[in-house]
Amino acid sequence: MDVSKYKALYLQETGEHLSGIETGLLSLEQNPGDSFVLDNLFRHYHSIKGMSASMGYEPMMLLAHAEEDLLDKLRSGALANSEEITTVLLKCLDTMKTLAERVRADEPLDIDVSALLASLKAAAVGQAARMPPAPAAALASGGQGLKLSSVMKVEGRLFDELLATVGDLFMTLSSFKTLTHGSRSVEFKNGVHQLGKTVNSLHDTIIFARMLPLEDLAAGLPRLVRDLAKETGKEVSFTTEGMDISLDRTILEGLGSPLVHIIRNAIDHGIEQTEERKKAGKPLPAVISIKAVTRKDRVVIEVSDDGRGIDRERLKAKAVSRGISAEKVESMADRELLKLICLPGLSTAETVTSISGRGVGMDVVKEAVESFGGSLEIESKRYLGTKIIMEMPRTSSITKALLVETGGEQFLVPISRIEKVIELETKELETGLYEYAGTQIPVVSLAAAFGIKTESRLRRTLIVLDIKGTYGSAGEKILAGLVVDDFSDEIDAYVKPLLPPISKLREASGITVLGDGRPVFLLDVPQIISKTLTGRNP
Amino acid sequence: MPKKVLIADDTEFFRTALRDILLGAGYTVVGEAANGAEALDMAVELKPDLVILDVVMPVKNGLEAAKAISALNLPLKIVMCTSLGYEPIVEEAIRSGASGYIIKPLSEAKVLNTLNSII
Repeated sequence: MDVSKYKALYLQETGEHLSGIETGLLSLEQNPGDSFVLDNLFRHYHSIKGMSASMGYEPMMLLAHAEEDLLDKLRSGALANSEEITTVLLKCLDTMKTLAERVRADEPLDIDVSALLASLKAAAVGQAARMPPAPAAALASGGQGLKLSSVMKVEGRLFDELLATVGDLFMTLSSFKTLTHGSRSVEFKNGVHQLGKTVNSLHDTIIFARMLPLEDLAAGLPRLVRDLAKETGKEVSFTTEGMDISLDRTILEGLGSPLVHIIRNAIDHGIEQTEERKKAGKPLPAVISIKAVTRKDRVVIEVSDDGRGIDRERLKAKAVSRGISAEKVESMADRELLKLICLPGLSTAETVTSISGRGVGMDVVKEAVESFGGSLEIESKRYLGTKIIMEMPRTSSITKALLVETGGEQFLVPISRIEKVIELETKELETGLYEYAGTQIPVVSLAAAFGIKTESRLRRTLIVLDIKGTYGSAGEKILAGLVVDDFSDEIDAYVKPLLPPISKLREASGITVLGDGRPVFLLDVPQIISKTLTGRNP
Repeated sequence: MPKKVLIADDTEFFRTALRDILLGAGYTVVGEAANGAEALDMAVELKPDLVILDVVMPVKNGLEAAKAISALNLPLKIVMCTSLGYEPIVEEAIRSGASGYIIKPLSEAKVLNTLNSII
């Protein structure tokens, strides 16, 4: 029987089955025991097996046959699905795609599938499937697989190394950029520009491959809220918004326990018992919501509750009992006062509970957020609720920053904070206030903040900054000005977090090394401004 | 009068291959179903002399379809068609009223020998 006339039909249907398999395997990652998906997968493999056998495409038939056996055990419940099994099946899928391509191109199907078959067989008898090295041909087509979290686990370290290498490339690039300033060669300048674009696109690709949606993290939260509400006898509903925003997986993982802490605190201390809410005329159930919005290369995540809010008087009393002077506490701006709940061991809760304990959490939350170069803000209205705002980078490591100079020292200011850069005569800045967009904004000198001596000069640069931790919902910005001598390039800085003891340096959120080898601090702008304006370190 | 055949297979690949073999041997293909439920409906509607049922199909599999069609007591014969490894299902189908079976991969000889032996 001449089967060659069925080749086009074979390819068309096999292609449909392969994409059905891909979709199915991906959804198994979310729900490993979904019997509907397992049934469909079984049929896809079965169909490919039958067609491949008829066409005489042996490696394809062998793979599909072994996969069909494995799926039969999974769908009948004889074997429990696992991440390892899904991973093996995804590996096999890559090879099957390659085989289908070879059929299409009339190339020989001489791919050795014995290692894949062995791991499928091992998986089918419940042994930990050992990942065989992928045949070279499968690697060539494997790009798409990188989005899958299970494959990422295998490749994870590689990605970190790759990202670090790109960081080094950025450093090298910035030294070339410095050289172009002194060069007249147009070819050289163009070459460096082109190199910059290439390094950027390489970086973007790696970053993209590491991104996961917030959804992956938030999926477990409704259950948490439900369980905690039950435990405390409170009525709480939970809403989310913007969970499709993707973050680097490291940052996403780092957000996990802060989110849990915040929600625990909200249910335990923020939200009132049903009777208390009824008396106060507040709606039931209480609402906890998580909302995420992006702002340039950063994400702002707000966790709000409509509970009783933070009691300032109690907070002040607690702070005093912890050794902070009453005078200092009384003179604190509200924003700074609220941040006191992040001091270790400070809590306004009356009772220690099994859920959130006393004051455990917020200091940990703040530390976790800041370790990723993020910042934390707290807003709270008495009797109306509390909002914890975390502003974080969406991707790790590379931050767009403006290089500024004051008194011969260089610093980096994150671009995400900058509203405008204005060159002015020094005398216009003497009052400590500057009129910008119709309002008076406070002006802080970077030199004064750091005790750097500067020569007197006629003109200086004012950088108008937004120092509010949130940008999304309220829309309102808190503007302030930072005075520096001069500014130069906007750079892509590969920022490394500060390690102890310099991590105690609150005015900086990271450090980078410029192309010429000089280390430069990335400024924590809200810290510098609030510290200088209030004359204290919160 | 050429024998009327209904084909049920979830892949177009096998439906086409079977159709080619059958047409080449002088059979009439009255219908092609993509799952067991369609096969059941078409068996009633198209009054075929012969139904070829693939075993692994969505919605209603070949065994379920074979049982349902047999239960209708229609003047037709059922042939199961599947790949190696499904012998127990084929046996159950035959106990439930199917008259024969074809093991994939398909060949002209296999298909025609089976059909000739039961018609």
